[in-house]
Amino acid sequence: MNAPIVEARGVSRVFPMPAGPVTALRDVTIRIEPGEYLGVVGPSGCGKSTLLHVLGVVDVPTAGDVLFQGRRVGTLPDAERSRLRLREIGFVFQRFFLLPMLTAWENVELPQAEAGAGRAERRARTEELLAYVGLSARAGHRPSELSGGEMQRVAIARALANRPRLLLADEPTGELDGATGEQIVGLLDRLHADGTAVVVVTHDPAVASRAHRLIRMRDGRIEEESRQ
Amino acid sequence: MLRPLRFAWLSVVRQPARAGLGILGVAAVGALMFDMLLLSRGLVLSFGDLLDRSGFDVRVLASDAPPFTGPRLASAGALVDGLSALPEIESVLQLRVREAEIAVGGGGDGAVEFVGADPRVRSMWTLVEGEDLPDEDGADPVVVVNRNLARRLRLAPGDGLTLGGRCGGAAAPPVRFRVAGIADFPFDAVTSRTVAGTLAAADRLCGEAPRDESEMLLVRSRSPAGAFAAAAAIRRAHSELYVVTNDELIERFSRVEFSYFRQISTVLATVTLFFGFLLIAVLLTVSVNGRLGEIAALRAVGLSRSRVIAGVLWESVILVGAGGLLALPLGAALSVWLDGILRSLPGLPAGLHFFVFEPRALVVYALLLVVTSMAAAAYPMRIVAVLPIAATLRREVIS
Repeated sequence: MNAPIVEARGVSRVFPMPAGPVTALRDVTIRIEPGEYLGVVGPSGCGKSTLLHVLGVVDVPTAGDVLFQGRRVGTLPDAERSRLRLREIGFVFQRFFLLPMLTAWENVELPQAEAGAGRAERRARTEELLAYVGLSARAGHRPSELSGGEMQRVAIARALANRPRLLLADEPTGELDGATGEQIVGLLDRLHADGTAVVVVTHDPAVASRAHRLIRMRDGRIEEESRQ
Repeated sequence: MLRPLRFAWLSVVRQPARAGLGILGVAAVGALMFDMLLLSRGLVLSFGDLLDRSGFDVRVLASDAPPFTGPRLASAGALVDGLSALPEIESVLQLRVREAEIAVGGGGDGAVEFVGADPRVRSMWTLVEGEDLPDEDGADPVVVVNRNLARRLRLAPGDGLTLGGRCGGAAAPPVRFRVAGIADFPFDAVTSRTVAGTLAAADRLCGEAPRDESEMLLVRSRSPAGAFAAAAAIRRAHSELYVVTNDELIERFSRVEFSYFRQISTVLATVTLFFGFLLIAVLLTVSVNGRLGEIAALRAVGLSRSRVIAGVLWESVILVGAGGLLALPLGAALSVWLDGILRSLPGLPAGLHFFVFEPRALVVYALLLVVTSMAAAAYPMRIVAVLPIAATLRREVIS
């Protein structure tokens, strides 16, 4: 067996709320292998996004351990976790979260600049990524000038900017119509085929059906796991 | 190029109305603050300039009473000779000041101030037209007049001027003088009517026999000894006299007479600074709160905490910096206007200014703006610093 990219061991996550603590994850254990395509499904509030956040090192579990490439992330300082996300993990959000004042090109270039890539290297990579998502002609456009599907493709290009080993997508088609969503799913398929491990949280059975492994969550637990 | 400054700039200009409002607000506040800084030391600087412009750096009086209100210096001639012999002193100018009335053509209010001085010593006024006083008066005594009086009486060099002394409450017989020149007097108010003549002319104006008395001696120190050494030498020789240097006079005025302006300007500068701080803090806080999802996403993508905090700080610096720059011409224009209003107060020397520019004011202004921008950014920076990424992303999706 390959060494996992990220591994959650007995992870729980409890959110303190005014009305009392809410447990979003209960003793979850999961491994994401390199090149894997994992789908996470389940009803709203079952902990899918929380699991994605914990695996993506943007949240810290209340109990249990998360190991990213063998390193225990819970004890890493914030700056180190930021670096990990910047270089090893790509995030795609339901609401895209592109920076509205930057062009598609600049949005894709941003994580590379943050990672310290040189100008020529950034230019080549950004060109490559925009071509990859089919938006070379829209490089100079701002998000407000793009359709929802185009924005999500830019977001995917941004997520891939620093060649992450793991791409985490949270409802990537949630804001898109069926045909546009299908384009995005096709792009994720292609990414996976190119060797990137992909974890997709979704409500959409069509999207979930593309994953090779599917976990179904309920009440913060993994209820069912299957290979497709 | 996505350096933090450009990034912040793009964040600022994405909401032009907000940015414009912020910059205009800072410009208004900054203009007032800049003016308060000019006011805080303006009088002191201007007063010092006036004193220096007279060309003398030490004053000698019989007592510490305000000039021309206390007792006169007795045996003034001998005193002048004695002081002039001191090695620290270059020259001594004896002054006799008398009140007089324009005897012919003065209108309802013909009061003038007559300054008697020794013409052999360099005068305290600046000649602008005609000639200065001769070393000795002839049969026809000679005077120089200030511009205001010349304008009012349409006097030109060579014209006659008849004055009646008002000495000790009694009117003296009129004396006719010949106007030799027109001069600027450093301490003249806009409405002052000043006439300068010889010491003898001052006595003659009052119909007095020559009296060896003087209201004040103006002393010019010898370089490189300086005013302090000259004053010390005079005090050693005449401990009974009141001796004050220009610097001591400025210091006293700064501490006592002008301190009200300093206090007012300090209070107003603090208040305006606080308003500027509030304005930027509110604008930045609103802006940051409107972008929490975006900021959380940036953090999730891998931008470091310090990077996003720096972005907020730069936004503050851009808003305050742009507003602060705009405030300078605005403040300069405002200070000219306010200075004109204050200088129209009656009795003030025309050369005295309330708002005076000095490089130090610009440095203090810049420092205060830097502190304001940092303080204003503190709270929004804290919002960004403690922003829970996951919870914010979740909240954004739910909302």
